[in-house]
Amino acid sequence: MDLFLQQIFNGIMLGSTYAVVALGLTLVFGILHIPNFAHGHLYMLGAYVSFFAMTKFGLGFWPALIISVLLLALAGVVVEFLVYRPLRDQPHINSFISAIGALMILETGVIVAWGPQAHRIPNPYPGTVEILGITMTQQRLLLIIAAIVLIVLLQLFIKKTTPGTTIEAVAQNREGAMLMGINVNRVSSLTFAISTGTAAAAATLVAPIFMISPAMGALLGMKAFVIVILGGLGSIPGAIVGGYILGLIEALGGGYLSADYKDVFAFGALLLILAFRPTGLFGREVH
Amino acid sequence: MRRFYGVFLALVLGLLLVAAGCGSKKEEKPAAAGGDKPKEVVLGFTGPLSGPAAEYGQDCLNGLDMAVKEINAKGGFTVGNQKYTIRLEKLDDMGDPTNAVNNARRFRNQYKTPAIFNPVFNAIAPMMRINEEKGNEFIIMAYTSTPKVVQMNNKLVVAVPPPFTVYCKSFVQEFIKEGAKNAAMLVTLGAYGDEWRAAFKSEWEKAGGKIVADKPANYYTETDFSAMITACLAAKPDVMLIGGPSAPTALVIEQARSLGFKGKFILVDQAKIDFIANILKGYKLLEGTMGVAAVQSYPYKATPGFDQKYRQQYNKQVTTSETPLNYISLYALTRAMAAAGTVEDPVAIRAAFPKAFPMSGDEFPVTYLGITDNGRMIPVASVQRVKDGKLAPPTSLIWHLKTEDEFKKFVAQQPTTSTYVFIPKTVEE
Amino acid sequence: MAKYLKEKWFYLLLLAAALALPFIVTDRYIFQLVIMSLIFSIATLSLNLILGYTGQASLAHAGFFGIGAYGVGLMTKAGLSFWLALPLASLFSALVGFLIGLPTLRTRGSYFAIATLCFGVIILIVIGNWVEVTGGHTGLLGIPRPSIGGFEFETQTSQYYLVLAFVLLTLFVMHRLVFSLQGLSFMSIRNNEALAEAVGVNTFATKIISFMTANFFAGMAGGIYASLIGSISPSTASFHHTFNWLVFLLLGGVATLAGPILGAFAIPLLMEYLQFLQDYRLIIFGALLIIVIIYFPRGLMGGIDNLRDRIKKANQRRKAGGKNVVTASGKSHQAV
Repeated sequence: MDLFLQQIFNGIMLGSTYAVVALGLTLVFGILHIPNFAHGHLYMLGAYVSFFAMTKFGLGFWPALIISVLLLALAGVVVEFLVYRPLRDQPHINSFISAIGALMILETGVIVAWGPQAHRIPNPYPGTVEILGITMTQQRLLLIIAAIVLIVLLQLFIKKTTPGTTIEAVAQNREGAMLMGINVNRVSSLTFAISTGTAAAAATLVAPIFMISPAMGALLGMKAFVIVILGGLGSIPGAIVGGYILGLIEALGGGYLSADYKDVFAFGALLLILAFRPTGLFGREVH
Repeated sequence: MRRFYGVFLALVLGLLLVAAGCGSKKEEKPAAAGGDKPKEVVLGFTGPLSGPAAEYGQDCLNGLDMAVKEINAKGGFTVGNQKYTIRLEKLDDMGDPTNAVNNARRFRNQYKTPAIFNPVFNAIAPMMRINEEKGNEFIIMAYTSTPKVVQMNNKLVVAVPPPFTVYCKSFVQEFIKEGAKNAAMLVTLGAYGDEWRAAFKSEWEKAGGKIVADKPANYYTETDFSAMITACLAAKPDVMLIGGPSAPTALVIEQARSLGFKGKFILVDQAKIDFIANILKGYKLLEGTMGVAAVQSYPYKATPGFDQKYRQQYNKQVTTSETPLNYISLYALTRAMAAAGTVEDPVAIRAAFPKAFPMSGDEFPVTYLGITDNGRMIPVASVQRVKDGKLAPPTSLIWHLKTEDEFKKFVAQQPTTSTYVFIPKTVEE
Repeated sequence: MAKYLKEKWFYLLLLAAALALPFIVTDRYIFQLVIMSLIFSIATLSLNLILGYTGQASLAHAGFFGIGAYGVGLMTKAGLSFWLALPLASLFSALVGFLIGLPTLRTRGSYFAIATLCFGVIILIVIGNWVEVTGGHTGLLGIPRPSIGGFEFETQTSQYYLVLAFVLLTLFVMHRLVFSLQGLSFMSIRNNEALAEAVGVNTFATKIISFMTANFFAGMAGGIYASLIGSISPSTASFHHTFNWLVFLLLGGVATLAGPILGAFAIPLLMEYLQFLQDYRLIIFGALLIIVIIYFPRGLMGGIDNLRDRIKKANQRRKAGGKNVVTASGKSHQAV
């Protein structure tokens, strides 16, 4: 029983990262229809910014997190402007090519600037807590709570604030939103800023638990795409639920069944869901 | 918008090109030695310099680079009456077999390189298909510990590190002797990890132990190991075989301890004990661990100097064993060239390799005793444990001899007082 | 005949040049690149069928390449002739495509892309972990070269002609397919699936046919690759290959027959050329990708078309004697 609970906890922790990263991606991929395959790499950049803010400039964990979020939000705006906006009227697959270009630049740029080796962000909360017979470190607990807070805040932003509602308006009806006088350029920039900003927050929260390295975002970025599709393109609840589902599948599948085939369970789950619901869990019919 | 965009990108591109130009400028000019003008011999390195294995590739390359610089600073090496300096051309293959073959062709064609270095078995294997073409031969200096590389009957391959099976045997010996029975494995996925798992499982079970859990994980891409660790710990192992690249290995250790593991760790040879301690801020969590010896504790006279010089020149905190072994492999190659009397004929150079040895630890950071018939160089392998919160003195493994008697004779001839353990030669046959 | 020659002189010239290449180029390094580019041309051509003509972005392509590679590797190592193993492996690849197509082709657009990406990853993981059959991550070593009778395709020249023959075969099939009624139904799905369905095209069956054909040729390319390179590991099936071919395809020219081949030659050659940049290579290459796709949204072939149009226009203008015609045509093309 303890073992089972422990694995559930591991799965939720993993799922928290997935959910936050996928949440950012679903805004960009689902609403702007940009297959931003560089999302995972921007996440990686967020971790590096925090790392340097903490080690080079001696900032604390939380100030570093805020700086990282702000800088990456800015980076998101820049990437949208330079890499994707000129392609807005082209087929989506063309954006995919420029996404590949962008991720090459990001990953290689980081290697050239800071070397290929892994770094470690000092853990601000290294203590362990024991609840119900399962062991968890404080940082992991923090990650889970912070993910929930972040998700709630983002939901409030989109539902309750004017800029947030413009995003939702574009999501529901792009042409209608334009007719209502919503500036689509501004919405694109805003969406990208939120997307990469949340990715940076997730990366900073995770970094003290794991290592940061130039390749840390590649697989995560891909899994985020899987989650977005699993939950339904452009669906925020879908991304959240999908993130936790994937985390739990990986933890339980890897722990109980076979570690070698752990990712088969994760990717297979998507196929299974698509076989029954071709537009994902919460997806609307594609038109 | 479009115009602005074009100008902006052109600017960025131009700047990058300039930066690249500055970065790739050849800075070394060999010091001219005496009257004879030295000729130049070009060697090739193709390996992963980007992607997940970039750090590993860079460590290997650094060792070669350091040897080249040293040799050139002395005015080159002598073959017959001619002095030669070395130019090391490096190309990134991202660990991809197609790229590795392309690069090998390029080296051979553009520079007539007699030897090409590569540190990834999956990339070496297809290179072994083209290195024996008549009139187009080249030696593959293979930095890989898998026994497969010398079992493929390639006449022009030289394997540099000891086979990992040597380490595997010594680890099993040690822990079974200590009374360990149940082992769990959490090793990196991939060709290397697969072979380690298979070899360890068979040795461990042969020695009477039991594998209670086998949960491999991709150390290069995995974001969290706790699910696999939890599953391993549920099987109550006495020891855990773990490892892949050092940095994530450190995480596994930390997570396993925080989840309550009290037993001992065994590290596969890719993971470096001192590098891990550096990340974990000390040896506390590593108590009882056994792994490949840290370069800083090698029992050779020349090691400390090498270690210090390398860390200074390349701005590193820890020297990993890839660097000294690659460093020596380049020296071994030049010695073989000297013995063969040619820098151009790969077949003759390969044939002269046995004459390059022994290479003593008084002069080089590791002692190399010779080369096996099927082409593996024979270093004295060292392993080490953590005891009482610090590194214990290392043990030297002698693995190229057939019988216990030969081993005893060998040890009697050794001047150093370090401990020797006998691993029968059968490990790679 | 004369008319035929007049229309096709360019292609015949190209073919003659291709046949004569080994007598002109003797550099083994260039040849290695050429052979690999030819193999990847086959893969890109087949990706073009499903993505370019049928409009379904299959990201599992390298998985099928891998299936073909392992199929040929395993069968020829077991003693089967390459000439039997290759069609069998390709058929097997098409069959797996059928099974995978059944659930995934019901989905559309991005859903299909990501679903196939997942299948690609699953194939990759299975190849990596099914040690008893595939040799795990170490892979298959020492795969025999193809041979006919006593003749083994050992030299680069012979390998070149072998691969060239397969490229021509692929081109022939693609040409026949694309310019047939079947090809029209492929394209009708790409242009508007709902409309195609409404006018009576069995869209699901058509997509399955396109997917299987594409995977047949992807498997074939993999099989040839395996027997020439000699040892394969799971990275053969890695989605990095798919991404590469996508780049070849889109920068070469999607939904054209020459584009994939152009891309499969131009991009690797450019990558090799850029080696002098060392660490900065991928940064520059990435930037180039972005620029090219922005300025040439239809790839190099689109660029060539534009150029040809402009020359034609200029000629007409010269003939007409007028100099003040506004040149807006170039712009409008780019925005297609």
